[in-house]
Amino acid sequence: MYAIETGNLTKQFGSLVALNNITFTVNSGETFGFLGPNDAGKTTTIRILTGITRPTTGFARIFGHDVQKETILARQSIGIVPETSNVYDDLTAWQNMIFTAELYHVGRSERVKRTNSLLQTFGLYERRDDKVHGFSKGMKRRLTLAMGLVNSPRLLFLDEPTSGLDVQSNLIIRDIVTDLVKDGVTVFLTTHNIEEANVMCDRVAIINKGRIAAIDTPERLKKTIRSVQSIEVAFDRTGPDLLAELQTLPLVNDAKKAGDKIRLYTEDPSEVIERVMEYARTRKLKVISMTTLGPSLEDVFIRLTGLKARSGVNYASD
Amino acid sequence: MPAIEIRTFTERVPREFAAAWAIARKDMRTYYIRPNIIVMGILFPLFMFLAFAIGKSAPPGTLIPGLIAITILFSASSIEPVSIPIERRVKTFDRLISAPISMHSLVLGESMSGFLYSIGIAMFPLFIGIIVFQTPVVSAVTLVLGLALGAFCFATMGTLLASYPTENVGDVMSVLNLIRLPLIFISGVFIPIETMPPIGQAIALFSPLTYANDLIRYAYSGSTHFGLLQDVVILFVFILIFQFVAHGLYKKFNE
Repeated sequence: MYAIETGNLTKQFGSLVALNNITFTVNSGETFGFLGPNDAGKTTTIRILTGITRPTTGFARIFGHDVQKETILARQSIGIVPETSNVYDDLTAWQNMIFTAELYHVGRSERVKRTNSLLQTFGLYERRDDKVHGFSKGMKRRLTLAMGLVNSPRLLFLDEPTSGLDVQSNLIIRDIVTDLVKDGVTVFLTTHNIEEANVMCDRVAIINKGRIAAIDTPERLKKTIRSVQSIEVAFDRTGPDLLAELQTLPLVNDAKKAGDKIRLYTEDPSEVIERVMEYARTRKLKVISMTTLGPSLEDVFIRLTGLKARSGVNYASD
Repeated sequence: MPAIEIRTFTERVPREFAAAWAIARKDMRTYYIRPNIIVMGILFPLFMFLAFAIGKSAPPGTLIPGLIAITILFSASSIEPVSIPIERRVKTFDRLISAPISMHSLVLGESMSGFLYSIGIAMFPLFIGIIVFQTPVVSAVTLVLGLALGAFCFATMGTLLASYPTENVGDVMSVLNLIRLPLIFISGVFIPIETMPPIGQAIALFSPLTYANDLIRYAYSGSTHFGLLQDVVILFVFILIFQFVAHGLYKKFNE
């Protein structure tokens, strides 16, 4: 059974199409990244998946439960950590946790046990009786995540979990998410931090203007844009003439100065390495270092969203 | 331990009530002492009462039922129009509408906090009447019934009006006052319904305050304009209408 299954999800607000025929699945136990620029449709998708918003057409299921017809059953399996740390400032950390547990029908003894355990895990136990309005941004973020886990969800929606956080809070949250995944929890992660998605996700979907531009593993997505592969080379001397000459080498799509190095973009790195060595011998240059670089997930993101924005071509795949 | 799926109706009902009660307690801890709630829930009805009572020849004790009626109207309907726009602004409302609870439980929980607040505040005019003016209560049962049904009805009305999708408290309060203030004049609180012109008497039939006031007045005087059963039934009907309309509007506006 899929943790999440959507079919032809469309959401219109008047004449605005926020989501356009989105179909994807998330496997149980998978960490799934949902990437996209602002207003791409990420929040609308989460609001539909959590049963807050009804789709105009299409369906969404959480562990087999239709979120429109069996909303409450679907919600019982999920934890939600929204982008905004929506904690009650006038309640203590303990009261926030207990209140959330009550909303999710966690039994009396279990809610106390879970609250104790989660506050300790997130380093908030010593501050449990303090009102939240005195907490730092990182502490509120950690409390929000703890509240999202109080019902022991099988599926966790994480919306920008580490955005704008200090290093300590960032590391705590990433470690905990890693532990959750080990315990079999499915994680649906939306983030602007592409490196975070690259490190944490089994698969990512890139959404742009309400359409899925691509869905695949980060590594396979990188391979789809071979032209972004590059070679970074440093010679024993530098100069503008080198950059201009290297740019004219066969199979080099582009060349850019990167500090004391030159980066050559190509679809065929091995061939270009030979050409560079030949060029160095001809010009009596000494190669100090040479590194091949693959495309980053950020390159994929920019390429897919950029191409789509220009051409309107749909790269949807599943 | 993973979450347990609650499937049957008998499993769900007690849990829905527990969740509604949790929402009510959260509101009590968070909003009861907010300045705008104190002003709208306590001071406003008091000054309204004084404005009418001062200079009247009637003994002050006879005005106590009217004071209780407008106190429960203003206090019960003041919590949610403040708390819900604030919760929308700080996004805690999303926490409520995404929880595995029925929208009816959300409306009920929100209304319960207004109801309990109002019952607490109504004790002030009640005890002032008993202790200061020695105003006798003829039927304690009817008084409890009038207070409970009236407070719950006005609290649900407040929750209904707070469904308007705004993050600004003033937006809801202005609409609420547009409704509450005329209710005082058309519901027999200060001007007995019998002495109102026919058009006024007809309009009074559509005000829930009319029936709550009639019940409370009976508790003090032993006389009723509509009859106790009719007052109780109509207040129940108002509560159900407000509850179901609120349920529908919260669902609609959150999409």
